[in-house]
Amino acid sequence: MAAAVPGVSWARGAVAVLLLLLGCCGPELAGGLQDQAEQFFRSGHTNNWAVLVCTSRFWFNYRHVANTLSVYRSVKRLGIPDSHIVLMLADDMACNPRNPKPATVFSHKNMELNVYGDDVEVDYRSYEVTVENFLRVLTGRIPPSTPRSKRLLSDDRSNILIYMTGHGGNGFLKFQDSEEITNVELADAFEQMWQKRRYNELLFIIDTCQGASMYERFYSPNIMALASSQVGEDSLSHQPDLAIGVHLMDRYTFYVLEFLEEIHPASQTNMNDLFQVCPKSLCVSTPGHRTDLFQRDPQNVLITDFFGSVRKVEITTETVSLDREVAGFESKFPEEELATEPLKYAEQLPVAQIIHQKPKPKDWHPPGGFILGLWALIIMVFFKTYGIKHMKHVF
Amino acid sequence: MAAPLVLVVLAAVTVRAALYRSSLAAFIAERVEVASPLNAWKRVVEGLALLDLGVSPYSGAVFHETPLIIYLFHFLIEYAELVFMITDVLTAVALYLAIQDFNKVVFKKQKLLIELDKYAPDVAELIQTPMEMHYIPLKVALFYLLNPYTVMSCVAKSTCAINNSVIAFFILATIKGSAFLSAVFLALATYQSLYPLTLFAPALLYLLQRQFIPIKLKSKSFWLYTMQYASLYLCSLVVIICLSFFLLNSWDFIPAVYGFILSVPDLTPNIGLFWYFFAEMFEHFSLFFVCVFQINVFFYTIPLAIKLKEHPVFFMFVQLAIISIFKSYPTVGDVALYMAFLPVWSHLYRFLRNIFILSCVLLFCSFLFPVVWHLWIYAGSANSNFYYAITLTFNIGQILLISDYFYAFLRREYYLTHGLHLTRQDGTEAMLVLK
Repeated sequence: MAAAVPGVSWARGAVAVLLLLLGCCGPELAGGLQDQAEQFFRSGHTNNWAVLVCTSRFWFNYRHVANTLSVYRSVKRLGIPDSHIVLMLADDMACNPRNPKPATVFSHKNMELNVYGDDVEVDYRSYEVTVENFLRVLTGRIPPSTPRSKRLLSDDRSNILIYMTGHGGNGFLKFQDSEEITNVELADAFEQMWQKRRYNELLFIIDTCQGASMYERFYSPNIMALASSQVGEDSLSHQPDLAIGVHLMDRYTFYVLEFLEEIHPASQTNMNDLFQVCPKSLCVSTPGHRTDLFQRDPQNVLITDFFGSVRKVEITTETVSLDREVAGFESKFPEEELATEPLKYAEQLPVAQIIHQKPKPKDWHPPGGFILGLWALIIMVFFKTYGIKHMKHVF
Repeated sequence: MAAPLVLVVLAAVTVRAALYRSSLAAFIAERVEVASPLNAWKRVVEGLALLDLGVSPYSGAVFHETPLIIYLFHFLIEYAELVFMITDVLTAVALYLAIQDFNKVVFKKQKLLIELDKYAPDVAELIQTPMEMHYIPLKVALFYLLNPYTVMSCVAKSTCAINNSVIAFFILATIKGSAFLSAVFLALATYQSLYPLTLFAPALLYLLQRQFIPIKLKSKSFWLYTMQYASLYLCSLVVIICLSFFLLNSWDFIPAVYGFILSVPDLTPNIGLFWYFFAEMFEHFSLFFVCVFQINVFFYTIPLAIKLKEHPVFFMFVQLAIISIFKSYPTVGDVALYMAFLPVWSHLYRFLRNIFILSCVLLFCSFLFPVVWHLWIYAGSANSNFYYAITLTFNIGQILLISDYFYAFLRREYYLTHGLHLTRQDGTEAMLVLK
């Protein structure tokens, strides 16, 4: 009897230890599932939009158009379709009479990369790029006649990338050399977007001089902002191309483009890497960023959350039958509403008449009054000059 | 002098006919230096085709010719080459007759001034003699007909030839002294392209001189004659414009022709100064600068009239040159017209200071125009700045040529009345400068 008791107690201890172990593993296993679930629903967005704005005109601001087009190219390559991109270019560099290589916009010198390509769709061009139009696009207060391609039709599950480039200063960005948008206006526009549930998360990138001043005033949640230079610093341009004669890109966007060229739709690169792009040694200015309004940790935010259009696909194995519902719809139609006589088109093109008629020689003749008047004048001048006495030689 | 003229005319017609049959005709016809939006032949053809389709030719900013040109070419379009050759010949003959008469006038005036002892004693070498003036009309006709600019303009069938011939007839009528015909032709020339309006002043001055009416502002006969001439001119202009209304029963031609000339909407490169400026300009400044540029053409008339009131034909030459440099769509045909007059002032050769450089500049620019055009448009290694640089140089060459002739003319006039060896007060040799 004494020998059986220690065995039972050992077995009980072992079972207790096993239960303890299981108890510890349990949360871990459950935690692993939760991690997978979290990865799947990492970001709350279901669609992506991009608003890319170049605000300067004139040939020597070629680099701003090249900046915007290179971001456009990356964003398209990573999956955002043209219908979800609002591209605003204030001047036409590709067809500018001063462009020695028409229909191209290069971003690298020696013409390595043509960011214009064959399928660029510019939504707002030339003088349509104004502060008013930009704010209307953002807030959605657009006249009803605006075509779809010029609207930002985002909803509360949209992640929006807003990229702006041009000439700026402390607290403002210059549009078209004649007007400016201030950081206060921009912040208010974003707040309007938040209140109208027009975005889920917003990434704001700006490449201008003193760009950090533009994001200082933001106060709406879920906005992350990057700028190419701090207040008091100028953003510098990258390299001139001697054949084209102008600077092709700005430094910050150049290195962002190089960074984005490495990204593909399945990359897991996160925002912290984007913050490291273009250190002071390469950019001369100090790029800045602002993440305090953003609710997720930038570590967990993928580049493709904003730059790409990664759709989440749920695969299901159950079949959904559609037949019953179609039959249900059909029975709703009463029989007597069906048309009793066949439809036919009105006789608009009398083809037989056209192919058999001969071409009418339509000739224009000057009106008789004109000819009469002209020759009367000529004869009057002739006789005034040479005298009436010559009339007798005529008759 | 008829026989050499006929020879020259035959040579010119042969050259043009040969070029018409060659392959160069198509190449020359599309060159922007020769054909501008105002006078290109393919626009005339387009306008007439539109008319045959029942559409007004002025709809759509293609056709900028006047209705009289429509009427002319409606019947003569198959003989277009012949028409342009005949036009050139008529221009040359008109210039020949005009300069013949002008020489007679110059000679008579010179004789009068010598008898009145108005000339200084030592200027015998400056006086023009009939011997050297004998061949000038032929040289003028030669300069006009065989000038490569004229030949190219004719081969391109640019209606600039017609404008030139109307101006040549106007000059002939003025020099012959007929105020009525001169007013009629001036009205026609103004109707064709707006700028010959500035030729009103030299024509008036010449006719006043011929009628021996002194040009004093208080003189009643001066104002009477001016009013007569001005009313003749304005009436004929109004009559021609009203007649043009009846061709198409619309006033469309006024904005299409005169609105186009004045507001310069088409910025195709040409040898003028307008296109580059306006291609680069802000839209809200363009109205101001269009006004400035257009005033520039008309601006020199009054000062030149004050300075050159004794020499109206030279004034006409300078005014023609200013028109062809500063007009909104110049072509080499306009340049050829005033260059035809250069033999008339060949006695000024000894006073011209920069003639070698200027002729080199004009020659080289004429060759560089197609080169730089090819580099810009076809090879893609130049840009519009290159072409505009050649344009600027060409126009600067022309302006310097005109001012050189102006200086030489005034200098000769000064020497005639003050003697060849000018001395300052302390006896050293003096030099005339144009201030």
